[in-house]
Amino acid sequence: MVKFTRLALAVLTGLLAAPAIAQEAPVLTIYTYDGFAAEWGPGPGLKAGFEATCGCTVNWVAADSSIGTLRRVQLEGDTTPADLIVGLDTSIAGEARATGLFADHGLDLSGLALPDAWTDKQFVPFDYAHFAFVYDSDTVKTPPKSFEELIALPDSFKIAIQDPRSATPGLGLVLWVKAAYGDRAAEIWKGLKPHILTVTREWSESYDLFLKGEADMALSYTTSPAYHIVSEHDDTIHAALFDEGHYAQIEVAGVLKSSKHQELAKQFLAYLSSTAGQKIIPDTNWMFPVVDLGADLDPAFASMPQPSKTLHLSDEEIAAHSKEWIDEMLKAIQ
Amino acid sequence: MTTLPQRPLRIAAAALLALSIAGLIAVVLYSIFATATGAASSASRLDIAHLVRMTTIQASLTTILSLLVGIALAWSLNRLRFPGRDLVVGLFSSAIVTPGMVVAFGLLTIWGRNGWINQAADVLTGHTIGNPAFGLSGILFAHVILDGAFAARILLARLDAIPQPRLKTGQSLALSARQRFAIIDWPAMAGTIPGLAAIIFLLAFTSFPIVLLLGGGPANQTLEVAIYAAVRQDFDLQGAVMLALTQIGVCSVVILGASALAPVPTSLGASIAPSWRDPFAARALQTVVLILCTLGFVLPLLTVLIGGFGAGIPPVVATASFWHATAASLVIGCVSALLTLALALILTLGRSATGNGAARTALGIPSYAYLAVPAVVLSLGFFLTVRNLGVAPAIAAPYVVILGNAMLSLPFAVATLGPPLDAIARSRGKLIRSLGLSGWRQFALVEYPLLGRDIGVALALAFCFSLGDLGVIALFGTQDFQTLPLLMFRALGAYRGNDAAAIAAILLVGTILAFVALPKLFERLAHVAR
Repeated sequence: MVKFTRLALAVLTGLLAAPAIAQEAPVLTIYTYDGFAAEWGPGPGLKAGFEATCGCTVNWVAADSSIGTLRRVQLEGDTTPADLIVGLDTSIAGEARATGLFADHGLDLSGLALPDAWTDKQFVPFDYAHFAFVYDSDTVKTPPKSFEELIALPDSFKIAIQDPRSATPGLGLVLWVKAAYGDRAAEIWKGLKPHILTVTREWSESYDLFLKGEADMALSYTTSPAYHIVSEHDDTIHAALFDEGHYAQIEVAGVLKSSKHQELAKQFLAYLSSTAGQKIIPDTNWMFPVVDLGADLDPAFASMPQPSKTLHLSDEEIAAHSKEWIDEMLKAIQ
Repeated sequence: MTTLPQRPLRIAAAALLALSIAGLIAVVLYSIFATATGAASSASRLDIAHLVRMTTIQASLTTILSLLVGIALAWSLNRLRFPGRDLVVGLFSSAIVTPGMVVAFGLLTIWGRNGWINQAADVLTGHTIGNPAFGLSGILFAHVILDGAFAARILLARLDAIPQPRLKTGQSLALSARQRFAIIDWPAMAGTIPGLAAIIFLLAFTSFPIVLLLGGGPANQTLEVAIYAAVRQDFDLQGAVMLALTQIGVCSVVILGASALAPVPTSLGASIAPSWRDPFAARALQTVVLILCTLGFVLPLLTVLIGGFGAGIPPVVATASFWHATAASLVIGCVSALLTLALALILTLGRSATGNGAARTALGIPSYAYLAVPAVVLSLGFFLTVRNLGVAPAIAAPYVVILGNAMLSLPFAVATLGPPLDAIARSRGKLIRSLGLSGWRQFALVEYPLLGRDIGVALALAFCFSLGDLGVIALFGTQDFQTLPLLMFRALGAYRGNDAAAIAAILLVGTILAFVALPKLFERLAHVAR
């Protein structure tokens, strides 16, 4: 038994030691969430693409979630081995900025193709999508066109949403309702209450409820249908566009002030937001690129209907009030 | 209790281990507390009293229902013999180690709005039964599937170990089915019930994803979600530790109760095919119980298998990451299972060597400690502890996982091994003393041969538990270090539902195999030893 245990530990240590890192080239350590670094995610492609020109090694370090990367850096402070974080989003950018850990990127981002011009000095956007409810056109013939239409449907029409305290889209929905309805938000949530089948911890659980037919719609992204079109040749999944407009999730990356490779890290940000880097994103992260890829954009994305209006909340507003808005939502649907 | 052999070393080892576990938890919590800067950000936004009350009600109901179902099922399985019985027992055992979300979705596939029952009812009668799988009833149902079947497995082991002479005596006295249960079965199971009840209560009290998924909204919530929010979203570390301490406090009451309850002597023997059959009415009831439980428990798991194999195993099995994850899972599972067994034996051997109530309680508590501490707090605490020790998180990750998994499986192993060891100490104590056996020879000649099957069950439990959860290293950042359950959740988070279904099915098959094979294997090994 002892022998076996020793062998097992040796195997284990071997497994970890496998990705040996070359000593001579500088190593760029990037914290991200695990889906981004996964073999089917954008991580491997971006690593290969950047390493081809940078004379460096890219080392992805994946925490379990986007917010986990920020928390880890906050815990590590100045001693963090991370040079960059890739995968924060606009809902937590204000809080991340307030930590004072992030350096200015110094890039000219005026050429990006986002719903609105980008002016952030610390964070560089690399993909985006609007939050939206998805439905299956085989079972939902006339999807609601607004929160109010959704509320007016019979109570048997169910939606699955996520807890704003544990899932990014859950927080996104709270912000979306707030941006669209302001002081009427609590009223909207009360109206939604009978339609809420359940509030799950993760996005994946809501989405699975929807795919299994337990819920008529699930809170997801406008880009979700692209996955089904590209990977499953299924064009029955659609995003319901609401007249109020939609709130967008913009994923961002930033360089840490403590990084010893400031120039290299900024080069990575430039690459990430360049046409070459952006080509990798849509079919791996299932989000829209932030530059106009023209003919290089998968037709599944190019042909996708877009919201006519993008709603906004400022970083400061979100940082100051998001807790209060979450409480308002929880109380309304309790 | 003077008949207990003197085993000061066993007691000392158990005491040392118990202290180490308590120390580990203290270090983990302290490391968070020491990092928390400034005051708690705000008075908690939550009505903690309300959350604790709701969670306690839910956990108590889960515990009572699970035990009732478990006792009925163990009673039926002990009496009935039918082809495929081992497989059914294996299936029941596998429920508790299957990721909760997989079981919950299996439940929905049967009972959901679009589930099998509604579809069948719609075709046959034109009406549907609605959606019973959500709300408190849904939470309880899912929990009973997980915990009731587990209780049945542990209780069945006790029933199967009733010595033959006792059964022969009962039979010759012509006990009725009811008397047989009250006089022979109940005393055999009773010693196990407090420990089981504590485990089930703790599992239900800290259950988080299932409660959110099936709860239908924030009305049904546990303290864990509040703690999760405090750690991850608010980054209010001090608040998180306070919430965690609240949870530990509530759980301690339960643990203390379970550990302090006077142990009921359990007897022990080799399992035999029953020559004593209950009357027809009792057998009919047993058959009904078994069929209902099989339908209730096995169908949701069956949907997992059908879903997985329907989704296509080959594409998943063809990837390198699958084999990487499988290798990592197997190694972690084996090492953690052996570690769990060692820890559990140290604790239970020490505990069975003393008749002192306070000492038994003190040695019993730490095995549950891990269940009471919120996972997100543990993961944060481990991360900080490892950092404070100056170790790179990625290097420490596998060791932390093994330690974490072993600690998680520990209460289950203790519940499996504790009662039979107590029974041996009480029934064979005099003999061991009069023979003057040393502690080691007592284990090798008396305890190990009688424990074979229980060791197998404990190893199977620990192995399957340890295949997977990496929650404890959530912050460690190790995308090269995957296990099968992690691979499954990653696939789910990236639209890859088919891959996830296939991995869930493979995991389930592996789990069932482990539960069928390991107890048998160890029973045979123990026989060889004798």
